[in-house]
Amino acid sequence: MRPLTPRRIAGICLALGAVLFVVVVFSLQVGAYPIAVSDVALTLLRGAIGHWSSIPSSYRLIVFGLRLPRIALGILVGAALSVSGASFQALLRNPLADPYVLGVSSGAALGAILALAWLPHTAWAMQGLAFLGALATIAAVYFLGRRKGQLDSTTLLLAGIITASFLSAIIMFLMTTVSGRDLRGMAFWLMGDLATPPAISLGFLFVILLIAIGAIYTTSSDLNLILTGEQEAHHLGVNVPRVKLVVYVSASLLTGLAVSVSGAIGYVGLLIPHVMRMLFGSDYRVLIPASAIGGAIAVALADTLARTIVAPTELPVGAMTAAIGAPVFIYLLRRRFA
Amino acid sequence: MTREVIDETGRRVAVPVDVRRIVTLAPNLTEIVYALRAQDRLVGVSNYSDYPAAAKAKPRVGMQLNPNLEAIVAARPDIVLVAAVNRFETVDALARLGIAVYGTDPHTVEGTLASIEHIGGVIGASVQAESVVANLRKRLDALKAKLVGVPPARVLFVVWQDPLTSLGTHTFIADALRFADAQSVVEAKQDWPQISLEEVVRLNPDYLVFASGHFGDAGARAQRLAELRSEAGWRELTAVREGHVAVISDEINLPAPGLVDAIEQLAHQLHPNAFAQAPQPRATARQSPAFAPVFAAGRLHRTVSRNSCVEANACAR
Repeated sequence: MRPLTPRRIAGICLALGAVLFVVVVFSLQVGAYPIAVSDVALTLLRGAIGHWSSIPSSYRLIVFGLRLPRIALGILVGAALSVSGASFQALLRNPLADPYVLGVSSGAALGAILALAWLPHTAWAMQGLAFLGALATIAAVYFLGRRKGQLDSTTLLLAGIITASFLSAIIMFLMTTVSGRDLRGMAFWLMGDLATPPAISLGFLFVILLIAIGAIYTTSSDLNLILTGEQEAHHLGVNVPRVKLVVYVSASLLTGLAVSVSGAIGYVGLLIPHVMRMLFGSDYRVLIPASAIGGAIAVALADTLARTIVAPTELPVGAMTAAIGAPVFIYLLRRRFA
Repeated sequence: MTREVIDETGRRVAVPVDVRRIVTLAPNLTEIVYALRAQDRLVGVSNYSDYPAAAKAKPRVGMQLNPNLEAIVAARPDIVLVAAVNRFETVDALARLGIAVYGTDPHTVEGTLASIEHIGGVIGASVQAESVVANLRKRLDALKAKLVGVPPARVLFVVWQDPLTSLGTHTFIADALRFADAQSVVEAKQDWPQISLEEVVRLNPDYLVFASGHFGDAGARAQRLAELRSEAGWRELTAVREGHVAVISDEINLPAPGLVDAIEQLAHQLHPNAFAQAPQPRATARQSPAFAPVFAAGRLHRTVSRNSCVEANACAR
């Protein structure tokens, strides 16, 4: 494998960025309401230079009101889940780790259910309580997952899995006892759904996600060393407890934000980091940015397929990522050993 | 030009004075718009809007729980009618796009009649709405008059057979059952309680009631009875042994005019003795009550022979 230079990282990111751009243009163009590529371009151009009045009102609603925000949300959620998955795989030194392994999504789901039961007619309640549920779970698992005052990978993993299954039990209990009428939206939340606009602005979400991904990126060289062994990393001068804390908090926050606005979209956080490893190697300096863009591509594309293949019926995006993700992963896995 | 109204969920909605394009996000709302003869203005309906049959030809805008917002916007509606089955997120998203959304939320049969009037007012079809409601009320009153003094039938309404799911006292269907002089044996606060067959044996209902899209097919009732008689547990129930199974239209689930049809069907199946000649529920409902005493003598005999015919069918299968 060629040496990893900043130039090579930039090249990989540019190539993935180009793929993302194509996906965005494709996603803007297709949908229940057909719009030609030229009209999409014209609408975007008029919007960009502020000529709002010259755009037909249905184009304005569909392109700027519906498709663009939804694609942007898909990109943010995909990047967050994928980076979070890559981070947990290093932190727990376990290739099966995904963003939900430590129970963050279960905590968020519990918050979402409580919001549906208590405040069914409040727009922000579901996402707000889901995020609070995620934060509470992150804190609980942190305190359960320590040994001798530090995060211990094995203890953390066990604490997370036990917390997740305990929360799932509470969720099952609530779903069978609370009136079904209040919980009818829950199935979509559990499968992941990008149709609901986020309660906070996309710009704000973008800034927070960028900070969390940036924090993880600063530890990428240390993560490479920790993957070879914590003792070795320690002897090479890595402040292992600090790196683990930064990665745990940032990755959990990414997951918490993503599930709060979109529900639990499966497979992306597990598969995309592995796909990127197979394509570009397992160095975290390239894996983190490549996973971010790769995750964005995957979720934006999956959501576009979810809302178009049986239009006007919409599928939950989580059903789409699962249906495509597993076969793609099996193909790549077998090819690697061929 | 818009005017402000408060919908049934308490939201303030700016409704265009002249509503020319309507989208409905639940099958009962589609049925109501048809009953109000405003179907020409209906430019989009949710999937499974199957009543009346003509509604199947209308453009679909997706499932009621996650409709395709893009398809709704593309239909350029003046108003979108939503029901309690739709999610609040959908209402919120449409309102953010500047689309007028009128929410209905009937919990009772009376509430359904009120909803029909409200929708009539919102879409500018008040006169038609009043006549539809007056007619439905007349049919319900006629039913009530026939059932005076008849003890209510204790029924188990089977929402879902596996797992066995019935309904709670606060549901809309529980209220509809009362109009057919029936009382659900399940008393639960939950809307859709799961119950065990053991509990059904203990409650010992007079009748089992099923809702089906195929209720009108000849032999639907006999077929259901035959199925129940071939299943362990079910066949031991008194109601099944005595052939007391009612199959009515699945419109019992929909707060719409067809609900009254389903109520009439149920009343006729549960209380055949209270009605004179009763091969067609709708026809009987329109019949004058004055005929009832004339046929009173022959009634019992006819009922018995029809039941044995049903049983004979079941045995033949």
